[in-house]
Amino acid sequence: MPGADLPGAFWTGWIAVLTVGSLIGLGWLVHSVYFAADAPQQDAEGEAEPVWDGNLREGAQPPPLWWFWLLFGSLVVSVLYLMLYPGLGSYAGALQWSQGGRLQESMAEFEAEFGGVRRLVAEASLATLQADLELMASAQRIYDRNCAACHGYDARGQAQRFPNLTDAEWQWGGSPAAIEQSIRQGRQAAMVGWLPVLGEAGVRQLAHYTQQLGRGAAAAHPAKAQYDQFCAACHGAEGDGNPILGAPSLKDDVALYGNSLDAIEASIASGRNGLMPPFGERLDDTQIRLLVALLTQETTG
Amino acid sequence: MDGVGLHKRLEANSGLLIFGILLVSAIGGLVQVLPSIFQDSLVAPTAQTTPYDPSELIGRDIYIREGCGVCHSQQVRPLLAEIKRYGPYSRAGESAYDRPFLWGSKRTGPDLHRIGGRYSDEWHRLHLIDPRSVVPNSIMPAYPWLAERPANRGPDVRRRMRALQALGHPYSEAEIAAAPAALAGLMEIDALIAYLQGLGATLNAGGFDQASRTAPSTREQRPHSADGGDAHFAPEAAG
Repeated sequence: MPGADLPGAFWTGWIAVLTVGSLIGLGWLVHSVYFAADAPQQDAEGEAEPVWDGNLREGAQPPPLWWFWLLFGSLVVSVLYLMLYPGLGSYAGALQWSQGGRLQESMAEFEAEFGGVRRLVAEASLATLQADLELMASAQRIYDRNCAACHGYDARGQAQRFPNLTDAEWQWGGSPAAIEQSIRQGRQAAMVGWLPVLGEAGVRQLAHYTQQLGRGAAAAHPAKAQYDQFCAACHGAEGDGNPILGAPSLKDDVALYGNSLDAIEASIASGRNGLMPPFGERLDDTQIRLLVALLTQETTG
Repeated sequence: MDGVGLHKRLEANSGLLIFGILLVSAIGGLVQVLPSIFQDSLVAPTAQTTPYDPSELIGRDIYIREGCGVCHSQQVRPLLAEIKRYGPYSRAGESAYDRPFLWGSKRTGPDLHRIGGRYSDEWHRLHLIDPRSVVPNSIMPAYPWLAERPANRGPDVRRRMRALQALGHPYSEAEIAAAPAALAGLMEIDALIAYLQGLGATLNAGGFDQASRTAPSTREQRPHSADGGDAHFAPEAAG
């Protein structure tokens, strides 16, 4: 509906009367000032106008002609503008221009120019995309714009909070499908803090055991019972981790929050709740496909 | 009477001159400002817009105090490039509970109107305390003191909520009574993050290209504009 949200009838009349009235008033003012060179030479009280130097008085000469045309011309432009574009209340203007309409037009132009290619990209195989250097450069720009603030421009992770995307370790799974899901829906890790349960000494022992995991000689460790009871459900009996739960492997040397005894203790004591925000509504299918291609390329490459 | 005669009369009578000046300078406001005050879609909150909760309210004050608006705007304009970069363009009704609004016009940093949900709270914390720790080429100043000051160090938040209530923000008595408890234990940085995470988040959740108007608001005391302020930009083809 044209002008659905423009002012109603009363305010349209209000705007139109004031605007047109002002234009007419200004037109009259400009006209009368210009053509009033021979105005009566008396002021409101009927006293004679002061005259200096014999012939110098107010209104003796009309303003220059260019001045008249400048003002009159701007009035003409105003009238033309108000006829062509929305301005007078709910009158939409002869060109039917609107901000929303302009936006729709530019979206349609964008779709016409890039829509086909973007759909091709969204459905292409990852290998095809990875082989195209230009597309990978686009993917890198999408990465820089959307991912680098957390994961870093080199994708190696940052601040011991945001994971490295270039190594083989993927907390939530490294398959293209798992990476796509991480991007679209985000991830929320949920490890609770164990300090209330284990006490400080228990946390320290468990941290030591966790550090020893994967180095073999841990079977006889005193904290193994606690590990089996509290940790194995998510991280696995052998510490292999579980990408479905986002529980990382504890056997390798990759540790997001640090591998030192202190860092492990801190993780066990107060828990970790890393959050990856969902980008499914911020990025479209094409952009997500390109990101998946970029990230899987960096893993294998 | 011609223009010169009128001019002379006005010149000789200063009372008339003052009245004339006021009349002429009021015309712009009468045409442009007055009708929009009575235009529901411009002043009514969108369906998803709710008043700020206490921590967001304090966070907004910190945002103003620290001058964030000097470098960050809060309005995504209805232009293709901006929508592609930031998200859905800003609706007038989204600012219904902003007193004053923080639209801004200068972007030294990026626009923040759709920042909500884009980063985790943890990222915001690191970034506010030391922007370079996560964005090496950032020119944003660091705000480490936000993490050291309690959020409720200023005047009682209940007085602020009462003032807003008097201006028509639908706070219930229970919400106002519970406000100090909601701030207990929070630092200023937590309040600011709560405010940032709420920016545009309701509209983000409704969909990227088209604002969903089905999500019910938790507070319905005030009439909402039927179209979420969207029709102001509605293309002719929509009808």
